[in-house]
Amino acid sequence: MSNAALFQTMTKGFDFAQAIAEADRCLLCLDPPCSKGCPAETDPGAFIRKLRLHNVTGAIRTIKSNNILGGACGVLCPTPRLCEKECSATGISRPVEIGKIQRALVEHGWKIGFQPFSVPVRNRGKVAVVGSGPAGLSCAAELAREGFAVTVYEERAEPGGVIRYGVPAYRFDKAFLSHEMADLAHLGVEFACGTRIEGSTGARKLLQQGFKAVFLGPGLWEAERMPGGEKVKGVLTSVEFLALMREEPFAGIGHQVEGKVVAVIGGGSVAMDCVESAAKLGARDAYLVYRRSFAQMPAEEDERLAALRLGVHFLMLNQPLGYAVDGKDSLTGVKLVRTRLGEPDASGRRKPETVKGSEWTLEAQLAIEAIGNRPDTADWSALVKTDKAGLVVTDETTRKTSTAFVFAGGDITRGAGLVVEAVQDGKRAARAIRAALD
Amino acid sequence: MAKDTGLKSAFGGAKSASGGAIDLSVSFCGVKFPNPFLLSSSPVSNSAEMVEMAFEQGWGGVCYKTLNSDRIPIIHPSPRMNAYHYEAKQLVGLQNVEQISDRPLKDNLADFLYLKKKYPSHPIIASIMGFSNNEWAYLAKAAADNGADMLELNFSCPHMTVEGSGHKVGQAVHLLEKFTATVKHAVSIPVLAKMTPNITDMTEPALFAKKGGADGISAVNTFRAISEIGLGDWVAKPNVFGVGAMSGYSGSAIKPIALHFIAEMAQCAELGLPLSAMGGIETWIDALEYLLVGATTVQVTTGIIKYGYRIVADMIEGLSDYMSARGITRAEDLIGKALPNLKSTDHFDLERQGVAAYDMDRCVGCGQCYIVCRDAGGQALEWDEASRRPKLVEDKCLSCMICSFICPVPGLITHKEMPKGWARRPTGIMDKAMERQVKIPNMPLT
Repeated sequence: MSNAALFQTMTKGFDFAQAIAEADRCLLCLDPPCSKGCPAETDPGAFIRKLRLHNVTGAIRTIKSNNILGGACGVLCPTPRLCEKECSATGISRPVEIGKIQRALVEHGWKIGFQPFSVPVRNRGKVAVVGSGPAGLSCAAELAREGFAVTVYEERAEPGGVIRYGVPAYRFDKAFLSHEMADLAHLGVEFACGTRIEGSTGARKLLQQGFKAVFLGPGLWEAERMPGGEKVKGVLTSVEFLALMREEPFAGIGHQVEGKVVAVIGGGSVAMDCVESAAKLGARDAYLVYRRSFAQMPAEEDERLAALRLGVHFLMLNQPLGYAVDGKDSLTGVKLVRTRLGEPDASGRRKPETVKGSEWTLEAQLAIEAIGNRPDTADWSALVKTDKAGLVVTDETTRKTSTAFVFAGGDITRGAGLVVEAVQDGKRAARAIRAALD
Repeated sequence: MAKDTGLKSAFGGAKSASGGAIDLSVSFCGVKFPNPFLLSSSPVSNSAEMVEMAFEQGWGGVCYKTLNSDRIPIIHPSPRMNAYHYEAKQLVGLQNVEQISDRPLKDNLADFLYLKKKYPSHPIIASIMGFSNNEWAYLAKAAADNGADMLELNFSCPHMTVEGSGHKVGQAVHLLEKFTATVKHAVSIPVLAKMTPNITDMTEPALFAKKGGADGISAVNTFRAISEIGLGDWVAKPNVFGVGAMSGYSGSAIKPIALHFIAEMAQCAELGLPLSAMGGIETWIDALEYLLVGATTVQVTTGIIKYGYRIVADMIEGLSDYMSARGITRAEDLIGKALPNLKSTDHFDLERQGVAAYDMDRCVGCGQCYIVCRDAGGQALEWDEASRRPKLVEDKCLSCMICSFICPVPGLITHKEMPKGWARRPTGIMDKAMERQVKIPNMPLT
């Protein structure tokens, strides 16, 4: 396969036989700790037992009826620190790879044509969902199963949000997503893609149009910037870079990376996705620049190790100061200063302090800023209470905002979080919406 | 998860190694075998090409695939076999509808001569099956005249496509006796009668074989079984173009049952014939267990289907090391050693009682012991939710030991004898008030 083709296709998971073999290691606990470790209430104790007892369709039903994105979570979840963390099998050898079993079961369901949901009778009110990311899809599916008529509004051309446009296809591809989307279609969820709901005004309009409730799940799509970055040619945000990689047909970004020196700035999962992508696309050198230490990076351990294995240079304890440019404002390097760790800061982590006189420039032709996202220009504050960062304030368990019949979840309420957390927000909001509308 | 059948426990109290050379050879019906490990009559012993490979890897002899006289042609059904898997474990059992040899008699006999010439110290046991009295004699003579050291009369194939043959003969004891006698009159080499397990008491047909003149017994042939039924087409497997059949089942799954048949025959003083055992042998431990209940040689097919001829190297090495550790030099000295300890259940000392003992330092907290004790045992375990650990109420423990069978940590739960006078708490009743309403039949029990 060509580089580009590899880029558009996910790494294979367990096949069904491997899933069965892995499930064989499960100790079938009396009180499965895995089933207490999922933010979205996934019950691996139940679905693995079902698989063991050849109740395969039941296992798939257990996964999907709890989480419409059960396949996606099986792929994308940081399972080592969630369901797999307390696995009793660790006492024997190592945790059962629950995420991989979950993915394999969901994929097996597609293979055998098993549809876990019956078509609901639509006898309840209309609900609008803003944003088709994990939170929105989860809320929409839950409501549709309860008989609500749900319309999901998506600004971009296709639904999926961050799992469509915010992760590289080799981690989660369109074909996989389209299988999960088929379940939403089966449940009768309607999609209005290419339709931006413009903040408070837009949401109010929806309520006026007859939607009984609105769920806000627009996500965070505006990248935080390094000072001056937007003026330099050869500097991209992670949002731009990852979206370019999901272009169809895939073309654009490859030649900007291949054979070049690429510096990715940041220490989170998105930074790992960017730097790993750069390495896979054939960057001569792919640098990961982070002002703290390796152990302090917010990225998952397996993501960090995967990048290391790919040959990414981890440039720890280096704080970016700005960019070096040529006469045409094209990037020639990233200006850095070395840091050392001082006393713990408010986050409890030792704070990086710059080392005077250690300024240097890392030569680079492409820099990618992956230092976090914030809400885009849509302003929700005229409709619901927001915080200083522009995030929508909600009740944790009901996902209620300050305004009746308006609910919210996902990154717009919690900042950058996990897919599985967004899924849970959607489920909780759906429960509260049902209660509010009954 | 593999249970601990490791050397330490299997060796028991190891004596110092003897240092003497280990002699695995056995004398069976007067024929000397370099070791007790033989190929059984099956696809693994179908030709000299195959048997040669097996001998090269250490097998001590062959029970060659059952000869046919060519009078009634043999055609194998397709497909011939079906595997029985258990969870992720493949091929725990094997079902087959394999027939006797479909090769011309002459080809098989030419292969005998080849093997005898090249491997003179490796005995050939020729398995034969006649479809008439005269045919038994014909085949016996053909085999004996072409190098066979011994015969095995196949009275036991449970799925012959030729009506009235195979285990139908093995179940009809007088026919079995008659055909044995016919063979004995035709040849002078030792004759084994191969028993079917598809009966209740194997000593009965074995005694008839003895009456007919058999020099030894081999057992067991495969068990009539249904390993799987197709859920889409409702056809049992192997599905032979829309038709399933009850047919022979072998492999690990049947070993415990086969082992008891061998022991039963070994304990039968009236029988008193040497035994060649088979049924689910894969390792030296399996083979040893058969020797300990009275077999002199052991035969293998399914184990080879699963792992290849190479397993014999591990059988030889494993058994030799076991013998060294126990200070036993001759394999023959192992034969029947477990029989004196094998008694009927009325011999148990019921005064002595015990409980399960838990090595809690090794517990991983899965709680499966709690589930099994609650649902199938004495409800003798309590579960501490905070620590995720079981706690045994000793005087409720039935010592059934099912908790230890489910526990994923080998050896964590063991059986411990309780002191004399210790008593188990009787199982309680749910509602004392019901006691008064109980009706006891008013009739004497004699």
